[in-house]
Amino acid sequence: MNLRLRLLLTTVAVAVPLVAGLVWLDARSRHRAAEEALARITQERFERPDAQARCEADPVAWGAPRTPGAMGERPPGPAPRTPSGPPSHGPPSRGPGGPPPGLPRAAPPRFFAYDRALASRDPAAPRLAAGTAAALAEGDWAAIDRATFDERVEVLLRSPWPDGPCAYVLVRGTTPRGFIGAILPATELWLAPLAATLIAVLVAVGPVVGRIRRLTADVRRSAAGGFVEAPAVAGADEVRQLGDAFVAASAEVRRQLAARDDRERALREFLANTTHDVMIPLTVLTQHLASLRAGVRTREPAELDEVVARAMDEAHYLAALIHNLSVAARVDVAEPRLERAAIDLNALVARVVARHRPVAAERGIELDSGVPEAPVIVDADLTLLEQAVSNVVYNAIRYNRRGGHVAVVLDRDDGRFVLRVLDDGPGIPPPDLGSLIRRGFRSDAARTRTTGGHGGHGIGLHITHTVARLHAYQLTFTNREPSGLEVELAGPLPPPAATA
Amino acid sequence: MSDRVLLIEDDRELGAQIVATLHKAGFGVTWWTEGRVPDPASIDLLIVDLMLPGMYGLDILKALRATSDTPALVLSARNDTGDKIRALKLGADDYMTKPFWPEELVERVRARLRRPTLARNDVIEVGPLRIGLAERQVWVGERAVDLTRAEFDLLATLARRPGAAVTRAALVDAAIDADRDGAERTLDVHVSRLRKKLGDAGMIQTVWGVGYRLAGSAPT
Repeated sequence: MNLRLRLLLTTVAVAVPLVAGLVWLDARSRHRAAEEALARITQERFERPDAQARCEADPVAWGAPRTPGAMGERPPGPAPRTPSGPPSHGPPSRGPGGPPPGLPRAAPPRFFAYDRALASRDPAAPRLAAGTAAALAEGDWAAIDRATFDERVEVLLRSPWPDGPCAYVLVRGTTPRGFIGAILPATELWLAPLAATLIAVLVAVGPVVGRIRRLTADVRRSAAGGFVEAPAVAGADEVRQLGDAFVAASAEVRRQLAARDDRERALREFLANTTHDVMIPLTVLTQHLASLRAGVRTREPAELDEVVARAMDEAHYLAALIHNLSVAARVDVAEPRLERAAIDLNALVARVVARHRPVAAERGIELDSGVPEAPVIVDADLTLLEQAVSNVVYNAIRYNRRGGHVAVVLDRDDGRFVLRVLDDGPGIPPPDLGSLIRRGFRSDAARTRTTGGHGGHGIGLHITHTVARLHAYQLTFTNREPSGLEVELAGPLPPPAATA
Repeated sequence: MSDRVLLIEDDRELGAQIVATLHKAGFGVTWWTEGRVPDPASIDLLIVDLMLPGMYGLDILKALRATSDTPALVLSARNDTGDKIRALKLGADDYMTKPFWPEELVERVRARLRRPTLARNDVIEVGPLRIGLAERQVWVGERAVDLTRAEFDLLATLARRPGAAVTRAALVDAAIDADRDGAERTLDVHVSRLRKKLGDAGMIQTVWGVGYRLAGSAPT
């Protein structure tokens, strides 16, 4: 159903009961006026000289209209006070001059006399029910037929002569005829406001419907063009607001689409970089294995040993890298989520040291750890924190020299845990130390691996930084004397009750 | 008698390697490739993969823990916090994330099987050392050694965890009056005197970057 038809139907639905109510009120008031007029005419008849004698002598003739059998014509005879025949029973506004010309006229009244038992000698008299006279208890007259949408009006009166055949008189008349019989008011004027309302609705709705249709067309065109062109709507009404809302919504859609494109691009880049990151150590590992196979017989054992050690190194690096990439996928998002649980730092340190000890041994580096006797329990994400610590330990091993040391030291200090990773390697040149702390090597350059240099701390240190930040732990880097690096990770311990 | 280890790992290649590694390290190994609940009486340690055909590793762990506290080591290829936390909550003693080195595996297994020395609470014996905690008396072999209060506390702290490195901070906390200046430097002085008194220079080892360790029977 379109807007125009809906408005039309709504208007009709509202107007019809309203009109019906007005018509009913009009009919009621016309009936009431007719009843009062008939009662007045009858009273006048009672007051005429010899009215009693005439009525009691011949009740039928007394009550007949002046021209018997011709309702609506001027009755002759006994009613000189009503020469114009029918009383003007219309609404008072119609005035005493009778109905205006052109309007239907009321029929002349007819009187029926009844005795005290409500029996009539007039065969045409309608039969009255026994209790009808009770309606007169409160007044001089009572309306008998109360059908509103009928032109017939009947009023019963008590005459001043209670003992004869004229004890009661029923007077019958009609209301003026209305439009469509007696149902609708006599004039069609009431149609004017109804028609005006309908026309006003259609006229008011026309431009609105037009504007909505134009907006619809604009929106379709905009959608077809990928929401690049916003629909233009003039004016300052609700249609304009609708247009503005659509413009805002399409801007949001464009923004989301752009964000999705960005994410997809970032994911593609991440995959490409990851593939690159993984393929390089894998290639190196492959080369080592190939040299091993080719050289098993020809090379010196010491040389083979060296190749094996480097192959182990690559495999270890590869494992660390893949762990870091999976952690990066969790923390390098808009809103990283930590899966916190109570974790035992002593056990975590033991795992990290066990993981790197084989490679440290292969490189001739002594790796030791010391933890407090009682478990140090923190509320943290196990995987993330373990990888963060692992990266620091692994870096300390990778950039150390044969015969060097790496120590992992965990202490409690005044409601905090302090985890330190110390080495006696080359340390980090002060300018780079500053940038290390500031940036956490987020740049793409940080992903690349340089052998021997500090630049290759790369993704591992970036992960450590991010994890520390997410946990609100302090991560500090200090060069040691005479050489080496100390990395300290410190954070609050949960209150003792939580660790119990 | 060697410790009996049950390995539940569905990957043939990895399973075979782990079995070989553990055999070489002196363990008796049984290997299942499908998940089902083991009889705790027949094993000393369980190594279980999390993703298994038949029965999920965590369910095996849960069923095992219902009846026994046999040590259990979980292997996981998915580096997933939720998996590990669930495993630890269900009673796993430790977990290992793949990949791992054979030495690493052996170390973790040994750590789980290491039983606390059932010594009397008030006497610790490490090698030739005997430390009476109640009477605060120390013997090397049959020789009683006279130690100061700080020296005794130092030795007792080291001896409670033989073979493990104890941090300098922990030693200072345990043995040295914190109010005195240069507590850490004092520590070295105390250790040097202690070494002299014990006579066996090899007993108390310096651990680079950490602190000291009492060389003991337990491997590091």
